[in-house]
Amino acid sequence: MSRWGMVIDLRKCVGCQTCTIACKQTNNTPPKVFWRWVADIETGEYPDVNRRFVPMGCQHCTNPPCFEVCPTTATYKRPDGIVDINYNLCIGCAYCIVACPYLARNIVFETKSYYETGLIPPEQVLAHPDRIGVATKCNFCLPRVDAGLARGLKPGVDPDATPMCVGSCISNAMHFGDLDDPDSIVSRYIAENDTVRLSEELGTESAMYYIVE
Amino acid sequence: MSTTKVAEYCYQCVAGPDLLNVCVEDGVATRVEPNWKFGDIHPAAGRVCVKAYGLIQKTYNPFRVKKPMVRTNPVKDRDADPMWKEVTWDEALDLIAQKLLAVRAKGVRDESGYPRLAVTFGSGGIAPAYTGALPAFLSTWGPVDFGIGSGQGVKCYHSEHLYGEFWHRAFTVQSDTPRTNYLISFGNNNDASGGVLGVWRHAQARERGLKRVQFEPHLSVTGAHAQWVPVKPKTDAAVMYALLYTILHEHDWRKECDVAFLRDMTNSPYLIAPNGLYLRDETMRKPLMWDETENRARPFDEKFTPAMSGTYITSGITIGADQELTNFENVQVATSFQKLIEHVREYTPEWAEKISGAPAATIRQVAREFLQNAQVGATIEIEDKTYPYRPVAILLGKTVTNGWGGYEALWGRTMLAVLVGALEVPGGTIGTTVRLNRPGHDRLASARPGPDGFMDQPLNPTDKENWVAKPKIRNAYQTLVPLANNSPWSAALGPAHLPWLFMKEPPENWPRPTTPEVWIIYRTNPAISHWDSETVTEQMAKFPFIAAFAYTPDETNWYADVLLPEATDLESYQLYRIGGTKYIEQYWKHQGYALRQPAVEPPVDCLDLTDIGTELAKRMGLLNEYIAVLNKGGGTGIALKGKDFDYTLPNDVAPTREEIWDRACRAATRELSGGAEEHDLAWFKENGAFFVPFPEKDWFLHGAMVQKGLRYELPYQERIWRAGLELGNRLHEQGIEWWDTQLHEYSPLPAWKDFPDIWGRIAEAFDKNPDDYDLWLLTSRSMQYSWGSNVGIPVLADVAKNVKGHFGVMLNAQMAKRAGINEGDAVWIESPLKRVKGHAIVREGLRPDVAVTIQQFGHWVTPVAKDLNMPNLNQLSPLHLALTDATGSGADVVRVKIYKANGKDGK
Repeated sequence: MSRWGMVIDLRKCVGCQTCTIACKQTNNTPPKVFWRWVADIETGEYPDVNRRFVPMGCQHCTNPPCFEVCPTTATYKRPDGIVDINYNLCIGCAYCIVACPYLARNIVFETKSYYETGLIPPEQVLAHPDRIGVATKCNFCLPRVDAGLARGLKPGVDPDATPMCVGSCISNAMHFGDLDDPDSIVSRYIAENDTVRLSEELGTESAMYYIVE
Repeated sequence: MSTTKVAEYCYQCVAGPDLLNVCVEDGVATRVEPNWKFGDIHPAAGRVCVKAYGLIQKTYNPFRVKKPMVRTNPVKDRDADPMWKEVTWDEALDLIAQKLLAVRAKGVRDESGYPRLAVTFGSGGIAPAYTGALPAFLSTWGPVDFGIGSGQGVKCYHSEHLYGEFWHRAFTVQSDTPRTNYLISFGNNNDASGGVLGVWRHAQARERGLKRVQFEPHLSVTGAHAQWVPVKPKTDAAVMYALLYTILHEHDWRKECDVAFLRDMTNSPYLIAPNGLYLRDETMRKPLMWDETENRARPFDEKFTPAMSGTYITSGITIGADQELTNFENVQVATSFQKLIEHVREYTPEWAEKISGAPAATIRQVAREFLQNAQVGATIEIEDKTYPYRPVAILLGKTVTNGWGGYEALWGRTMLAVLVGALEVPGGTIGTTVRLNRPGHDRLASARPGPDGFMDQPLNPTDKENWVAKPKIRNAYQTLVPLANNSPWSAALGPAHLPWLFMKEPPENWPRPTTPEVWIIYRTNPAISHWDSETVTEQMAKFPFIAAFAYTPDETNWYADVLLPEATDLESYQLYRIGGTKYIEQYWKHQGYALRQPAVEPPVDCLDLTDIGTELAKRMGLLNEYIAVLNKGGGTGIALKGKDFDYTLPNDVAPTREEIWDRACRAATRELSGGAEEHDLAWFKENGAFFVPFPEKDWFLHGAMVQKGLRYELPYQERIWRAGLELGNRLHEQGIEWWDTQLHEYSPLPAWKDFPDIWGRIAEAFDKNPDDYDLWLLTSRSMQYSWGSNVGIPVLADVAKNVKGHFGVMLNAQMAKRAGINEGDAVWIESPLKRVKGHAIVREGLRPDVAVTIQQFGHWVTPVAKDLNMPNLNQLSPLHLALTDATGSGADVVRVKIYKANGKDGK
């Protein structure tokens, strides 16, 4: 069984938000809801200042705090490591939103358009009424991954089987693949570089590895 | 649900085009994807940037202009509603044709000699990727004023275009990023402005170890991955001069610089007479060099090893302005390189530190690392040819290249590359396109031999017989700017703000500034994008007839007489040249053509610009001429008849857009493949793009220069200096003295001047005290917004807010604390011209004497954008001749004071 994960090279990310918008469009998330976004972080004091861009989103933890607090089992872990939400079971209690240390979860209670005049045609075509009043978050583009696998494609190699944030990244900073496969691109990056995972002290054992300068 | 993918290109910023697919589900465009199919051809694996994804909302924006409309309120004023009335396309086009016919009946030029028809295309150089066959119609017209500006000269890399093309056929200048190891940047923000290829290549370069040093007043997106050296605005040339000093006076240039390159490929050995001109031999009038073996001066094109430095006693003549000959007998002359050494002698790092704030130790560190990384002497094989390998480059930003100090910065940058032979060679600083020389698609071929061993430079004439004394268009580029040349692009590269300024304040001894009788505008909003936007709108309100292609209502088409709903990116046809070498980082190992095509039924009643061109030609009785232009490739850039093919259109039948582009597709593929392949419109609609290989060695001018035996015209600028002197003579003969300050820019070796003070003192022109304005207000590029009408796309606002600086004015934390300003506070930003309100964004990453706004906002009509409440530097920036340099450019720099809106000075 594969264990899907990502490696993000912070030496290369420029915070352009192409992954952010590609994710929004692929998953048709409503205004102000981001399953993937890039934080623009400044540290230090003038003139000794550092600026870093850090792609954020669900870390698909091995020990996800959101999973632990979910009272309805709506949040579940797939054998391949993807943490997903069963909208039919979610009651919108938002415990998971509070529990997630990565601020990766969202909830909206009404359908919203980007325009005050109402939903525009693409918003209507891609509407997700099942996502109203429930927690939502990045699912590693699970439908793309599964559909790609069904077609014999290789996630992380074939764009059509790879999360859209990775396939859209214009600095080639994001990589996706099987953490259990030593020959996968993610395993090679981890083997060849120093990587960190966010808030490792929490023991979440996330599937997102960051290469830091 | 049925899903199809439609291939398109995105050219919303000048760093494209790039390729994409639009997913269409049940007849609705829903998503954008990279066109991964071309991943092995497109240098960034077929990907597109954040803006391309906005094309979906751009298509379905409910605020689009939905029908042609005409103004019913004759009063044109910011506070007067135009009271639009819907009309049919026939009515709208008839109205435009009627106005044009009336102009034609009167004569295409007015009493001042200016064209009565003016056309302004916005968005830098990208409009031609969207205008279809409309330019073919304009070609049939005769004189058109394309030089009424929308912000170019300030918003583009204006002076780099002119000097870059003069020195090394580099309308845009780049690093050979795939091979560069050390990059010095002065405000170049390529991770925001370099497009997909720029971001991709620089990221890969960082992964392999490229080091970048970023001299910049604020810590930009690009500076984030660099050694950031905060510098005071407009002092970049001082730092560059100190780098030149350090290399020439603190290092041993004989050992560390590329002496062979300097000697054989520049004018370094040319002898300079006491009057500052090249010393020439009396008979052939060729520049002389010094032969140390024979101890005599000899013409530059004889075979010998000339002296690089030193002074010598010899004789010869000089040719000055207006061919003035001067004889010199046994006088002391120096090599051009010796002059350079002396010229930079006073520019020590300590001197530069006082001016710029860049530490002297850092300047020395950068000079040392630059020399170490240059690998002088190294070579590399590219496509079986051996080239010098110099993996160091220098890039400049927009505000560095533009306005006063631009010439000095550009010369300093190019000289740094020249000293180590890192100009136009692998790893070094290269050009990527030409626009002022021909052929426009082949910059290597454009390097033709000219006088004195240099490239031919078709400068606008300054001699008595040929100087264009009476401007042919309102910005007078042929009259005032020799370096602008006279190519089809030159009109837009003249001093394009002068028409607005002169309409307001007519200059002395100059044809009376007139308004155009018909002004056609496309993808442009000068009421927002031009400096002193209030003056601009006051003037355009006087224009008698404005026809505006309109995406949504905006601040400029508010003053229009007829609005034509714009067919946007996904609603019209165009076949466009792609790959090879083009703007910015667009250098590929392939070249070809890509198609833009209707992906969905437009949700508004718009018309393809190709059809509009045809309809106007019909109505004007110019159909034959229009088709003749199309057949020659005018407007589309694709000639329909070639050596072994003929797809010309019959000249008596109005063609459909499909007929025009089908023939263009066939002709383009036949021409590009040497006749081996032919693909029609249907093939392009299915496949998206056609490519053939492009030689990588053609990324570099070096091979052509060597093959043609040409030298780069550096470091000495005799030709530029002479052109300036002659221009001064001509202007003074006409009694024109208001351009005298600009004439001082022409010099053989540009010296540092107190450039920041020019912006400081401008307050006096408004009877204000310069000391009251203690901050520099600058702008910075937003990749998310620029350009293509994206300010009104809400999803772009949604994602852009994740990037620091959007939706406010960035202030240094120490400065903000002193002023009692907190994050999010409403503040007034006040220049000598005006004040505007914004919200404070408090950061550590900028100098305490600097404030920065992103992009250009301040909208008051454009839907969505007008609710962003963003300050706009353009509203604060004076439109003033004193802020115009000799190339006709200005810079996005304004002295301001900033205070809390609810403080004691604000309300």
